[in-house]
This record gives sequence, structure tokens and C-alpha cells, in this order.
Amino acid sequence: MSKKELLDGNQAAAWAVKLANVQSFPCFPITPQTEIIETIAKWKADGKLKNLVFNELESEHSVISAALGSQMTGARTFTATSSQGIMLMHEILPIISGTRMPLVMVNVSRALSAPITLWPDHNDFLAMRDAGWIMFCCETNQEVLDTIIMAYKIAENKKVMLPVLINMDGFIHSYTRTEVEIPDQKKVSKFLMKTKQKNRLDVKKPMTLGGAVLEEEYIKYRSQLHSAHLEAINVIKNVQKKWKDKFKRRYYVVEEYGMKNAKAALVIMGSYSTIAKSAVDNLKSKGINVGIVRLRLIRPFPSDEIRSALGHVNEIGVFDQNLSPGLGGILYSEVKACLKKNKNVSSFIGGLGGKPVSEKDFEEIFKTLLREKKEMRKWVM
Amino acid sequence: MGNVKNNLKEIKTIKEIPEEELVTGGTFACGGCNAIYGTRLTLKALGKNTIMVNTSGCMTLTAIYPFTPYKVPWVHNAIENGASTASGILMGLKALKKDKNTNIVVYAGDGATYDIGLQALSGMVSRNEKIIYICYNNGTFGNTGFQKSAATPYGANTTTTPPGKKSEIGNIFKRKNIVKMMHINGAAYSATASTSHPVDYINKLRRAAKSGGPAFIDLLCPCIPGWGIEESQGSRIGEKLVESGMWPLYEINKKGEFILTHKPKMIPVKEAMKNQKRFQHLDSKQIKEIQKIINTEWEKIKKGGIWTTEFY
Repeated sequence: MSKKELLDGNQAAAWAVKLANVQSFPCFPITPQTEIIETIAKWKADGKLKNLVFNELESEHSVISAALGSQMTGARTFTATSSQGIMLMHEILPIISGTRMPLVMVNVSRALSAPITLWPDHNDFLAMRDAGWIMFCCETNQEVLDTIIMAYKIAENKKVMLPVLINMDGFIHSYTRTEVEIPDQKKVSKFLMKTKQKNRLDVKKPMTLGGAVLEEEYIKYRSQLHSAHLEAINVIKNVQKKWKDKFKRRYYVVEEYGMKNAKAALVIMGSYSTIAKSAVDNLKSKGINVGIVRLRLIRPFPSDEIRSALGHVNEIGVFDQNLSPGLGGILYSEVKACLKKNKNVSSFIGGLGGKPVSEKDFEEIFKTLLREKKEMRKWVM
Repeated sequence: MGNVKNNLKEIKTIKEIPEEELVTGGTFACGGCNAIYGTRLTLKALGKNTIMVNTSGCMTLTAIYPFTPYKVPWVHNAIENGASTASGILMGLKALKKDKNTNIVVYAGDGATYDIGLQALSGMVSRNEKIIYICYNNGTFGNTGFQKSAATPYGANTTTTPPGKKSEIGNIFKRKNIVKMMHINGAAYSATASTSHPVDYINKLRRAAKSGGPAFIDLLCPCIPGWGIEESQGSRIGEKLVESGMWPLYEINKKGEFILTHKPKMIPVKEAMKNQKRFQHLDSKQIKEIQKIINTEWEKIKKGGIWTTEFY
């Protein structure tokens, strides 16, 4: 039976690991992710995770290398990290997508050093955008739990065979409890029936993995990786639909909030979307019709869905909780590139290193978009 | 193939080495390459129930798509993570309950072991994981064109330690004491070996497999282009290095017992260094200095003082 509990994002992730019948969990502590590994370690010690092999290694680099080794045996593998940790892992991430291993990892976002800080923004997560992984960015603790389970269904699909990275925001998700529905174990197990991984290390069926290629072959592998991403978007939509049928919660690769007849829209991702949605409600109650387009899927990049969500709107803002120094907001350049040129697309950078952005701030962004009717680049600070 | 029981019996002569090849010909390895010869010996000793982990280097380029010489599961990840990749494979096999009858062997170069991969190796050993780690040691970063590693012998000419007017000796650093280090780290078995002494190496591999814990073997592999030697002379030169006392063959078991597995004839180091281009710049005074170091080290070994030697 499903049950409802007050869980923070880290606990929600730990529950998902348990529900997904993960077999192997190499890990290393880093704030604000540590509670995930502590929770699993305690459950393991209490005998609640008999089929999980748990191992704390000596660095994130070793963790992600071990995660690849483990996944290559065909065992369902999970790990989690954050910030400097994912930066240390970076070298191995394209090897995991390149060898087409269906690993699932959570990133608990935290701004990058220097200056060193503990609070969140999305530069750690988005620094991985070219690593070849499927990338989800969550808004709620419930979404974290649900997405981890769905991620295995997506990653292990024969048409996909790609690793999945799921982001939650440090502190705002990781240490804040909200009501989360924990689905029924039997139903999840049935939803996630495991098939035997074809590309695996097995002494009964010897295979060479991670071998070299010459210059004629490399580009073919890369183009296949890209095709798998493009194919994955349909698989993702399908899995999200099945999730709704079985567990009653509906997810979209791009979520539209209050977009019907909206005169201005803000594109955003992560936990700050919730605050922005409140701002939308406040403005609508005053007769100002604006909406939110929340990016839940970052890779494969849902260009068509973004175009369709914003088709009728001309005043568009993109809120970036990240910065590519010397360029600007990362989502801004990606979103702008997929829209028609006749729209005003403005950039708003804020929330770096956990700087609060209030409902009032978001209301001001919408008012600016409606008033100025031109392209702008602004900081919210 | 089935679940063949691992044959880990020790052998006495070269005739007892299994004939079956688990590494085929046809690779891009140099003529006379001792590293690829080492993979053959390794898999002959351990058999089919073995997963081999490679680190980036010359041996990575033995499997170029669509060709592979390996008849056992083989994986390349990156350069510094042979040990941690193996740790993960062990986790996966444990989860699938396949770990009991499978050997996991890492076959990594000395740069990938002494230098960039040392942290992962130390972690693997400290976690007491049942993995055999072989360092195929040619004393240089071979695949990138012969740069100094922490395994490069004192006095060797590499492309980053070239002898010149102001620095005549070549490499001024001593080789890292990695076998002793691995024992102190907690290895169940640690040893040196040489491709020139295949019976000794095969027995050590089988002892490593039987040790039940983390095992480390530092395998001397003469490098044809790196050392500037004749294609046919790899094993001969390895033999001379062993017989001169420059590469002692020994093992340290879990209890810390040091066992010399081959008594060298102690031929002059000059004789061992003779046909190697990497030592050609050394004058007789410098060779004498190296001879003196070797003599001092062996005096210590003879008196049971392996723990105070600096090179071994």
C-alpha cells in the first residue's frame, strides 16, 4: 500500500532507491547530499536492504568509476553527489553515456567554488549538459522520488540505454520536509521489471567494453548517441504517461502553468519555479495574465515542446539560476535559440548561491516584460 | 564454457603453463612487446573465469573496434581508475551473486598505478576487496612517448628527463616503493615479478588469487621502443635486470613475511644496462654510483632489511 510521509528531498531519494530495487550503491559524502547515503547506510545496517551492495569509496571520482564498473556487470546501480563532487566526476560522465550504461544519479545542486558556499544554484548540474546524460530538474520532493523510479524505466529501455541525471536543489529540497506519497513497493517492482542488460561483463559471454575506435568510427558513435537522445524524448513521454496511469501523478517534459492566453511568460527550472508560480497566481488575481514554462527535462533539450508552449506569447523572460561568465544565462541562450526571431526574449539571472528570489521579485519580472516590450538582460540581486 | 573451477595449482616448469591462449594475435602492440605478453601470461594463470580491467595506455589500443584480442570480458574506463572500476565490478558481481568464482584483474601501466591511479588503488586495498591488481611496469609513460613516471629508474633517459649539459644523469628521482606500500596499506599479497620469469609470475598470480583479498603484483615489462632495445631482446633484458639485482623478485604475504623468490647472480649493473638506449648517456662514474646503490640495497636484503631499502 502507498503511504504519505513528511520527507525531505534526500529522504525521498533514498526511498526511491529502495523502491526501485537498486542492487548497487557506491557513494561518497558531500553536503547537501550526505543524508541520502546516511539513510541508505542505516537501512542497510538494519537489514532492510538485503539485496543492495553498499560501498563508501575514497572520492567521487572513484565512486563514478565504480558506478560504471558495477553497471557494466548488469546490476542496477545508483549514486548521488553534488557540486565539487560532480565536477570531480566529470571526466567519467561521457564514458558512461558513451558506453551506453543505464546508470541513474542524483545531483543535489550547490553553487560552485570559489568562493566556496553550501547554498544552491544550477551551475554544477548544467556543467554536465554536454556529457551525454538524460537530465531532469525537479521542482518538488515528490517529483524527486517519482523521477528516480521513472529514470530506470527510461534508462533501461532498449531504444535509449543512456544514463540519467536528476537534479534537486540543495537545502530547499534536500533539507526541507514536505508531504510525499511513497508508492506501493509491489506496484513499483511491477512497473520496473528488469530485463537482462545486453552489453555487460559476463565470463559466460565475453565482451570487450570501452575499446578504442579510429577516426572513421568515432563520429558514428557520437551520432548514435545523439539519435538515442532524440528517440528518448518519446520514451520519456511514454513513461510519464504510464506513471500517471499507475500512480496518478502527471509529469510533462515541459510544464505549462497559467499559460492559457498569457501575455508574458517566464521560463524557469527547479525549486524557484514554485515561488514564481505563486507570483503568477498573485498577478492573475489582479487581472494580469502571465504564465510559467517550467523546464523539467534539460537533455534531450525539448525544443519543440518549448516552441509550442510559448507559441502565442511575445514577451518572454528566461530565469537563469546559473551563469556562464562572459556569455550570460545558460538556459537563456538555449531557449532563445529555439524560438522564432520575432519574439522579445529577455534574460534574468538570479538566485546564484541560494540568494532568495521572492514572489515580489518574480512579479516585478513579469511587470517589466509587459511594460518594456523589448529584449533585456537583467540581474535579480 | 560453463562454470569451470579455477585451476590455481602452482607449477614448476614452463611446460606446465597452460597452452590455451585467451589473448589472440593481431593487435597493434609493438613487435616483442612484453606488456601484451604479460596479458597472455596473466590470463593463462587465472583462466576463463576472469574479468580484465584496463587503464588508458598502450594496452587500450590492443582492442580497436571492431577487433578485440580478448577472449575474456575486458573493459577500459580511464587512466586513473582501474582500481575503482574493479571495485564497482566486484560490487555488481556481489549483487548478482557471481563474485565467488570470478577473478577480477586490473592490468594497468606504471604511470596509471604509481602516479595518477594511486589513490584509487589505495582505496581498493584499504577496503579489503578481492581484486588482483597488476602493474605492468616499463618504468615510463610509454603510450604518450616515454615520459618519466614515479616508476622510472634513477638515471634513466626519458623525454621529460633528458640528459643535457646542466643535468647529465637523466632521471634524478628514486622509484616509489610501491610493493611495500601496498603491503602496509593492507594487501593480502604483494609481490614483484618479471615477464622474463613466467613460472615465477604465474605462481605469484595464483597465490594472489588464493589470498582471498586485495593483491598487488608489480610486473617488470621491458619496452622495446621506450628502452631502445632490439625486438627480440625484451625478456633477455628483463632477465639481466633481475640477475643484476636491479629488479629483485620477491613477495610479501599478509603476515608481512618477506620471501625472495629468485636468488640473483648479481651480474654487474653495467651488463644489465648495456643494450638499453635509456642508459647510454651514463658514464662509468655514474654507472659505478648505481652499482653502489644496488650493492647497498642487497646488503640490507641479505641481513633481512627489506623494510629499510629505498628502491625496492
